Amino acid sequence: MNPLLAYERTITRRTFLGQSARGIGRMGLAALLFPDLTKRSSGPHFAPKARRIIYLFQSGGPSHVDLFDYKPRQRDLHATELPNSVRGDQRVTGMTVNQASFPVVAPNWPMRRCGKHGTWISDLLPHTQTIADDICIVKSMVTEAINHDPAITFINTGSQQIGHASLGAWLSYGLGSENENLPAYVVLLSQGSGKNPGQPIFARLWGSGYLPSRHQGVLLRPGVNPVLYLKDPPGITRGQRRRMLDDLAAMNQKKAEDVGSPETLARISAYEMAYRMQTAVPDLTDFSDEPEEVFDLYGPQSRRAGSYAANCLLARRMIERGVRFVQLFHRGWDQHIALQKQLPSQCLDVDQASAALVKDLKRRGLLEETLVVWGGEFGRTIYSQGALGHPSSGRDHHGRCFSLWMAGGGIRPGFEYGLTDDYSYNVLENPVHIRDLNATLLHQLGIDHNRLTVKFRGLDHKLTGVEEAHVVRDILL
Amino acid sequence: MVLWGHRTLGPLLLTLVTAGCLRDASPVVDYNYDVQPILADNCYACHGPDPESREAELSLHTEAGLYASLRDDTTRHVIVPGNPGASEFVRRITDKRPQERMPPPEAQHALTDSEIQTLTRWVAQGAEWKPHWSLIPQKLPDLPRVRQRKWVQNEIDHFILARLERDGLEPAEEADRRTLIRRLHLDLTGLPPSVEDVRAFVADSRPDAYEHLVDRILASPHFGERMAVHWLDLARYADTNGYSIDGGRHMWLWRDWVIHAFNINKPFDEFVIEQLAGDLLPDATDAQHMATGFHRNHMITHEGGTIPEENLVNYVADRVKTTGEVFLGLTFACAQCHDHKYDPITQRDYYRLFAFFNSVPERGLDGDGGVNSVPRLETLSPLATEAEIEQVKADLAMLRAETGRADSTQGNWEERERSLLNLRGQNLQLHPLQATKVTTPNSGYTGEVQPDGSVRIDEPAYFAAYNVSLLNVAEDLDAAITGLRVVFYPHDVSGALGHGDGDLPESFVVTSVHVRAGALPADQVDFHSTLGLARVTASHIHPDYAAENVLDDRRHNGWSPHPARGAPAHLTLTFDEPLDVREASYFTVMLNFGAGNRQVAKHFRVLAMEGIDDGTTLPSEVQHALVNGSGDSDLLRQVFYERAEEAAPLRHAIANLEERLRVLTEPHPTMVMAVTDVPRPTRILYRGQYDQPIDSVSPGVPSWLPPMQEDATRLDLAEWLMHPSHPLTARVTVNRFWQMLFGRGLVTTAADFGARGSLPTHPALLDWLAATFVETGFDTKALLKTMVMSATYRQSSRATPDLLTRDPQNALLARGPRFRLQAEFIRDQALAVSGLLVRRLGGPSVRPYQPTGLWKEVSHYGSTPATAQTFVQDHGEKLYRRSLYTYWKRTAPPPGMMVFDAPTREVCTVQRENTNTPLQALVLLNDPQFVEASRAFAARLLSTVPETERVVYAFEAVTGREPDREDRQRLEIRLAEEMRVFEADPARARAILSVGASSPALSADLPTHAAWTVVASLLFNLSETITRN
Repeated sequence: MNPLLAYERTITRRTFLGQSARGIGRMGLAALLFPDLTKRSSGPHFAPKARRIIYLFQSGGPSHVDLFDYKPRQRDLHATELPNSVRGDQRVTGMTVNQASFPVVAPNWPMRRCGKHGTWISDLLPHTQTIADDICIVKSMVTEAINHDPAITFINTGSQQIGHASLGAWLSYGLGSENENLPAYVVLLSQGSGKNPGQPIFARLWGSGYLPSRHQGVLLRPGVNPVLYLKDPPGITRGQRRRMLDDLAAMNQKKAEDVGSPETLARISAYEMAYRMQTAVPDLTDFSDEPEEVFDLYGPQSRRAGSYAANCLLARRMIERGVRFVQLFHRGWDQHIALQKQLPSQCLDVDQASAALVKDLKRRGLLEETLVVWGGEFGRTIYSQGALGHPSSGRDHHGRCFSLWMAGGGIRPGFEYGLTDDYSYNVLENPVHIRDLNATLLHQLGIDHNRLTVKFRGLDHKLTGVEEAHVVRDILL
Repeated sequence: MVLWGHRTLGPLLLTLVTAGCLRDASPVVDYNYDVQPILADNCYACHGPDPESREAELSLHTEAGLYASLRDDTTRHVIVPGNPGASEFVRRITDKRPQERMPPPEAQHALTDSEIQTLTRWVAQGAEWKPHWSLIPQKLPDLPRVRQRKWVQNEIDHFILARLERDGLEPAEEADRRTLIRRLHLDLTGLPPSVEDVRAFVADSRPDAYEHLVDRILASPHFGERMAVHWLDLARYADTNGYSIDGGRHMWLWRDWVIHAFNINKPFDEFVIEQLAGDLLPDATDAQHMATGFHRNHMITHEGGTIPEENLVNYVADRVKTTGEVFLGLTFACAQCHDHKYDPITQRDYYRLFAFFNSVPERGLDGDGGVNSVPRLETLSPLATEAEIEQVKADLAMLRAETGRADSTQGNWEERERSLLNLRGQNLQLHPLQATKVTTPNSGYTGEVQPDGSVRIDEPAYFAAYNVSLLNVAEDLDAAITGLRVVFYPHDVSGALGHGDGDLPESFVVTSVHVRAGALPADQVDFHSTLGLARVTASHIHPDYAAENVLDDRRHNGWSPHPARGAPAHLTLTFDEPLDVREASYFTVMLNFGAGNRQVAKHFRVLAMEGIDDGTTLPSEVQHALVNGSGDSDLLRQVFYERAEEAAPLRHAIANLEERLRVLTEPHPTMVMAVTDVPRPTRILYRGQYDQPIDSVSPGVPSWLPPMQEDATRLDLAEWLMHPSHPLTARVTVNRFWQMLFGRGLVTTAADFGARGSLPTHPALLDWLAATFVETGFDTKALLKTMVMSATYRQSSRATPDLLTRDPQNALLARGPRFRLQAEFIRDQALAVSGLLVRRLGGPSVRPYQPTGLWKEVSHYGSTPATAQTFVQDHGEKLYRRSLYTYWKRTAPPPGMMVFDAPTREVCTVQRENTNTPLQALVLLNDPQFVEASRAFAARLLSTVPETERVVYAFEAVTGREPDREDRQRLEIRLAEEMRVFEADPARARAILSVGASSPALSADLPTHAAWTVVASLLFNLSETITRN
């Protein structure tokens, strides 16, 4: 045998076996392609409850006040001034810092007790109401950030400072890929109807920071090129492409053996994976094999590529194909103004499809091993931004408490956690910092957040940062 | 803590060098190389520099701490040199009882047996402590003795070879000339050599042919571009502000300055001093002010709601972080919130450094609307040359003259326009659509849907995009829908069409329009599914506000009716393809009134169009000339050159040259550093929080670094950094240059020379390089020349399995380095080989191809005065500039660059990854830039190389080497097969040959051209093509 190939096989077998011993399972090509990945990864540290995550990120800051964190007494507090004792010394954004008055605005839509445990969910989310027994609503989420950029960077990368690795990149780094034709971490974007454009988002939210860049999320877009440059150039048939790649592989192989280049061998495999992706991705995004009832379940927008609903369905299809982490970003939750008008539209965008995804995963037996997260970077103030009752009024950013729900993946269903005050303003019991959330997500995938680290610029970096973080055991099954 | 002591340096340095080179073979345990890394990794978290986390008052990072007596029993000591048994330190790391054992189990840093042995042996050998290696000033070390003297080309080789010989490794033979010239070109210019360059070098029989080649390449103007690519990552250069809105800025003049500085070989100390403090130099020139843009390249925010004071702290913190990583090789960032856990950098040290950069007259919310944040400067590019100005003027004159000449394609255009005019209004029917909803997402004001299905806007925003949802209620509509018309009505009382202030009173400006249609309603236009627009016409024709302007999404142009009162006006959009009625039950139209000054319409309605638009964009005299046929031929020729698609390449060429002339001759804006009249006080911020200041500090540097005078300025800091005796700056710099040429640094953590950074593989070589760099007056070209003249650099990169196993990372350099080209050079190479590359130096950034919608789907498009929210592709030569000129948007960087590991440039990047992924394959195979390069390369081969030599020449042009027989046969077979495919289906040939904007330059023989395009693409995809061997 060619000595270089023998060398490559040894290396591959070594990493392969090393992985199996740690219980990761089939690594196959990923191990061959990314030997340093398998070498450097450190998880899972214990038996995982979940194997995959679908993160339905609601970008902009959904109003926990209007949607989940309801107190009947708020109807009486409506139009009263928010007491200074409640506001305390809180930092306010530049948007409302000069406001003379901070009048309380009770939710303007009916709220309903749902599920066996009677948790409050707004009538703006009728479908979500029907999955109350399947989800765990955390009402005591906390972040220190009060503006979009730092806040959304914080929850996604564990730091308000720029340059850290995102949750998905950490998962890809720590656990590797479970399939040979698709990336381990896929990102899907959709625009909100309530507010378009919503607050901008950025590549760094799915970036790899100090981890190798192959762990960054791959953006899948609707249209002929779901993955950038996926399609062969015009005029080139699949047969032509295949024959050209065969020649390419043969020439690369010869050169690799001649000069001793393992990187070239890895490149041959990368080209083969690219070729397979060219079939696997269109197969993934082609919904024609979905029966009518699935579109009925996810709602009419699920037929429209690029919509939040279509992305939810796409997420399920990816989970079925072994993608480790699918993250949707739905923009437009930043209701500073015209909340009355914008919020119902935002809710309409996401409600049916989010609930459908949970139901669909459940009936397919996928929910047990799939952790679904629904939430944004912070909540919104109970007080009015702008004059009370004015059609252009809304709510400002609020990080001291906000709501988020999770389902499946070993999270306690039909449960609510954390308590805030009457103003849905401060956490009274069981605060869950976004660090704790991230530690919990990692934990469910079998990773100890303190042990999944990478050394960079002299520090052992981890997703949860330098401050202490705790797995929220109370919400685990 | 005294880490800094000049008197003891001589002997220490010697020990250091010896220890470093011998550490594998020798039983002598060296503190810096063997002991300190174990302590830093395992012990410093609790017994290191950070007093807040220090346990048991025990410091293992200082000399005093290691030899101190125990807190609880002062008769005993942490370490008793030479006596492990009496050393508490040894007892604790070996104690079997978990409660006594160090590190404790919860720290999850258990020492390995060999680590314990090393530490114990070190204590037994006398526990000699040394200052951290990188803080000992470098001195020119003696050259190590080597056996194979004949292999040695210069001093570098002594150090490399000595180590190889000790490890029993042989250096590799010298690479062949073809490999060498390609390596040199790619390393020093980022561009490949031409076939002619390669052949000339192979034939050059002079004994010093190699040196001649090196000198020639170092003198190339592309050297400065290549070095700038390296420097832009460090300086986090970008064309946008970053953070969330990420609007455009103008910093390319600073980039021009960098390219120029490298090309004139500005001594590196001046290079740094001018960038850090050029504004403070006596009688500073504009160029010296321009250089200070280095520390304005950081991100800047104008996000509403952010707090200016907090933003300012972020900006200064970025300068501190970048200064630390780029010049000192130290990570200061941690100390923003607390004392550093691993390096002796205190929070006070951090804020003293912070103080140097804190007195800039800048604003906490600034830089919106495409206008640079203050302080700023308008000045001329240092790259402008008289020769280029004259050339551009001459080229312009020539091109302009062409517009006076008849063109053979003018007839086609006239025919088309005439037939369009003839068809105007054919079968035209308009069907009102019922507006159901109107939204203006980021404005409190909005429009109201009227009972008649129109939309009224009574309270306009300063600028706003309105999304109108429409229901198709036309029952008699049975044919296809060919487009939409938007009719604007005058206000019933005032008679005005718009709300405009400023230059357009009572008017409005539509800056862009987007349409979606579907079987389902949508409140918004989804940028993924907007309908293509073939034509836009309007009821009013005005040269400054042409209807076609709405096809350009940017805010700076648009359509406006004139006069804007009295009668209705309309805008008509014709779709690329007629729309099936069944696909169009609902429309959503986004009307963007983005010009500002409340230039928003008052009342409008949307109608669906059947048949052909009755509008035209041609002024009536032109219509007249066309229809009458008699026409004014001068007028028609002029309009042909102004409007015809056939004349577009000429128009683009003229516009690009006109812009270039302005770039070369007029001042342009850039951001600079300056100093506030009254120094801004700096205070330590508790936990780094901007609103929790505690003690005041003055500018200064850590005590364990060389001393600096009181009341130091930013200029003093810069000069201190570049002082010949500074132990860090020169080492850090030469290490980065080494990394650039050898793929990995002598210190692999190029940004971290601190306690947890890697140790140098060849410490004496690093010192030799640094000391030599300083001695030559920081002569960058000389330093690089020394590196590439070495036998070490010239080695073949061929690797044997034995060597791959023994030294997979090639740390010892028993072979030449081999690594994948970086993102920019992969694209540049394809452009160069294909002949598409436009070799202009400097100037504003350009926008080559990128998939549509990438910016819009993440940006604040339609809702902000910021620029760079929507991508508009450039034309002509701007598609073929080197990649370092590609417009860099931080929140959505060029995708083809990102795939090849380019950083986002949000923060300073000292080392790029070098990965190998399927997405890279997709870019090289399918990105139009590479397909077009393949097509152009094929055209070049067909037109300039004789048929019998083509395969060899093509292979040589891409890889630098001659193909062997097997390669040649394979390519010939591929070519023949592809030719058969395309001959059988010429439409396919035409399709592949239509990719890209460059004029097709079609060979008469389409199948041959297409087949060669496939072969060229195969060559561009070879692993060795994107590898520098």
